[in-house]
Amino acid sequence: MRAVKLLVILTVVAFVGGLLGWTQEEPIIIGGVAPLSAPGAAESGTEMKIAMEMAVEEINAAGGVLGKPLKLIVEDTRGLPEEGTAAMNRLADAGAVGVVGEFHSAVAKAEIEVANQRKLPFIISEAWADVLTAKQYPYVFRIAPANSLFYTKVADWIKAIGSRNVVAIVENTDWGLGVDAVLRAELIGKTNIHGEPISYTSIVAERTVTDFTPQLLRFKAMDPRPDLVMDIFTGTGEYLIVKQAAEIGLATTRETAIFPVGTSALYPEFWETVGEYGVFAITKTGYHPLLGVTPAIKEFTAKFEARTGKEPTFAAMEAYDSVYVLVKAIEMAGSTDPDAIVAALEEIKYDGVLGTIYFSTEREPDYMFHQWPGAKAVVIQYTEVNQKPSEALLLWPAILRP
Amino acid sequence: MEFFAAQALNGLVIGLLYALMAVGLSLIFSVLKLVNFAHGECYMMGAFVSYYLATLFGVNPILSVFLAMIAVFLLGAVIHQLFLKPIYTERVERKDEYAILITFGLGIFLQNLAMSIFGPWTKRSPDFLPGTTLLGFLTVDNNRLVVSAAAVLIVTALLIVIGKTFVGKALRAVSQDRDAAAIVGVNSQRMNLLAFGIGVALAGGAGALIGPIFLISPVMGILPGIKSFVIIVLGGMGSIKGAIIGSLLLGQIESLGSVFFLDPTRGLAYKNAFGVLLLAIVLLLRPTGLFGERHVRME
Repeated sequence: MRAVKLLVILTVVAFVGGLLGWTQEEPIIIGGVAPLSAPGAAESGTEMKIAMEMAVEEINAAGGVLGKPLKLIVEDTRGLPEEGTAAMNRLADAGAVGVVGEFHSAVAKAEIEVANQRKLPFIISEAWADVLTAKQYPYVFRIAPANSLFYTKVADWIKAIGSRNVVAIVENTDWGLGVDAVLRAELIGKTNIHGEPISYTSIVAERTVTDFTPQLLRFKAMDPRPDLVMDIFTGTGEYLIVKQAAEIGLATTRETAIFPVGTSALYPEFWETVGEYGVFAITKTGYHPLLGVTPAIKEFTAKFEARTGKEPTFAAMEAYDSVYVLVKAIEMAGSTDPDAIVAALEEIKYDGVLGTIYFSTEREPDYMFHQWPGAKAVVIQYTEVNQKPSEALLLWPAILRP
Repeated sequence: MEFFAAQALNGLVIGLLYALMAVGLSLIFSVLKLVNFAHGECYMMGAFVSYYLATLFGVNPILSVFLAMIAVFLLGAVIHQLFLKPIYTERVERKDEYAILITFGLGIFLQNLAMSIFGPWTKRSPDFLPGTTLLGFLTVDNNRLVVSAAAVLIVTALLIVIGKTFVGKALRAVSQDRDAAAIVGVNSQRMNLLAFGIGVALAGGAGALIGPIFLISPVMGILPGIKSFVIIVLGGMGSIKGAIIGSLLLGQIESLGSVFFLDPTRGLAYKNAFGVLLLAIVLLLRPTGLFGERHVRME
């Protein structure tokens, strides 16, 4: 008898609880994908996650989207393609109407397959490999620059500074190999500003390698000595190459500069790990004050610094803008239907932190499909220890320098 | 010649670091007859203990290495008492499988615990000795010199303890025949505890030494752990001499192989494969490894 009474009480409680749940507004779910732990670049992924959360909080404070609250689910892809695939599937199963983010091209390459199969609009925030948009999947868009868009400009800079012997250690990933392919095409068989032929030598390494000294010693022994070492790596490997190149006396020296190409060189962890070896290192960023400090940038930077104590990099800005672009597309579509969102994304013009964001529908060159053509990147050089990227010397494009 | 010498010296430094880890794993196997799949994570814990001692408490970096080894020894002792001691009782039937599952699970636990506590970000321990030294025509990072000297000292001390002390004799007795050792009064459980503690302490020491050179992160132990397994099989399971020689051999193969590979632009990409290739060749010629004996199952 007591058991029956308990069963009745539990049933009533469950019914009432369910009813309460029914009456609450169902949120619109959007997904975020980013590397939040190793072997992924956790610094970048964490920054992107924070930026996404900031955007969602602001949108909800302003009333949500289509009259409903927005819910963000961020999955840790760990820099591994199989984790990216699993993350996208989990987000689709959870009812996400769109996904933003990703930092690693190799992971994004796996994720776009799921996005295409499951009709999940996916805005890639910070993965640069050409192939991601070159596949021209209807549900895939990108805010970050494509490798070909940016590294052709880096090659122009290399020619402009009169480089004759460029060497590179390349991460064995889609992004790394993509950058290498662009530089090979732009430098091998070409001449610098003085009409001298340029030599370009690259070696490929797995992301798990920690000792680059053998290869760096080989570079040091070259005749002529390299004048530029391209560090085409992200995360720990990027820091180790800078550190080990300095330890053996290869770069940075009067004869040889080093260019850590990955975004990891923009974080405070760069200085913690390489210390004074980072002075005079050259790197790239998607944002520099000389590109123009808009009110949107000021506001975002202030909020981000207040929340984290750190200056945001362009990866954070891209993630932040990605959320807003997706939400605006949902509003324009008036629904969460994936095809309606895609149609809206193809028409969108959104004034974000990084500029007015829109997506090309041109199919030539192939990587321009659903690519934001306005994505910028500049070459900077650190001149002192613990320097913020926004305070570094702008090297390229030179026309922006005061 | 200069280039070859530089590569060989780099390979020697790497080999000495591998030796610290592999010798510990070999010691554990020779006495406890189990493979510690959490060895890489003990290496990682040593690195983080040393890092925080040096940065938070201002302990001298070299002293922090030895304190880290003590801390990891204590961690090993706790692990042994809680999880490994039952293997040597009648409570556990499938002893080999139990050991694999327990140590594998511990490895995953320690890695995720470290990620939760220390965060996923890469860190760098303070230098032992900043700057570089010119050795003839070779420029060597001072940290690598300190690490090499420390590795040689630690391994030498271990060999002296094992070869010349009563404790060492007791450890060797248990590794040869547990029952016979018990008959002559050696407490095998205590020797198990000591061997496991020392074994993981050596890994912890290797991790602590590596901090200023190769940076530290919660997943830093995965690859060195795998390489330790390769080395102990290469050198012969349970052979400390084999572990040392295997380590030095692997260090040279990796360093020289990555630059003198048929296609030098791909040499570094295959670096981790060289050890496995070497292992395959050695096992084809000598199935028990360079200095190994026939495998003895856990009693």
